[in-house]
Amino acid sequence: MSTERFSGAVGISRMTVRHGDTAIALGSGDVPVLGTPQVIALAENATITALAEHLDQSETTVGVHVEFNHLATSSVGDEVIATATVVEVSVKKIIFSVECHSGNRLIAKGLITRVLVDRVSFIAKAAAEALTREN
Amino acid sequence: MVANVLEVSVADGDRISVGDTLLLLESMKMEIPVLAEVAGEVVEVAVSVGDVIQEGDPLVLIKIESAHNGKNSR
Repeated sequence: MSTERFSGAVGISRMTVRHGDTAIALGSGDVPVLGTPQVIALAENATITALAEHLDQSETTVGVHVEFNHLATSSVGDEVIATATVVEVSVKKIIFSVECHSGNRLIAKGLITRVLVDRVSFIAKAAAEALTREN
Repeated sequence: MVANVLEVSVADGDRISVGDTLLLLESMKMEIPVLAEVAGEVVEVAVSVGDVIQEGDPLVLIKIESAHNGKNSR
């Protein structure tokens, strides 16, 4: 499991802002504009898209670090496009530079780090930990 | 910090005074005016509406009235 093959990969994800995406609907604020959690979710989705064709079925990645500036507001009906580009890879770590635009306005920019894991082992470990907590 | 350029309020050759609005930027969901710190003549506007600027980018080049040399106002 090496991350070298992800170098330079690019992914794009888009959304049209709906009422359910607003800060007031998400509970992350009390104004009816696109909420920051949804912007980050869109950006994370773009990182997933970037890696999709490079991953083996037994592999997946999980988000571990987000560093984000939400710069400008978006209203209900606006289209927002996130672009994620792999800018750095290490043993298991993949770092993306992410930008979100609405029209020609840059509305968010940041870095997202994901870690490459074995899908089955990861899910099994999480399930085992949950069981341990229950007992 | 990154910002969008929303408005450019001056053009090459304009005479400006301390406190004049040079640009209007958008960052952190706020509109942020960039005000002149010196009086003088605009030599060059280095940005346009819609540009995305980074910290440290030159924005407007101003020739200071009372000094011998030009200076960047940021």
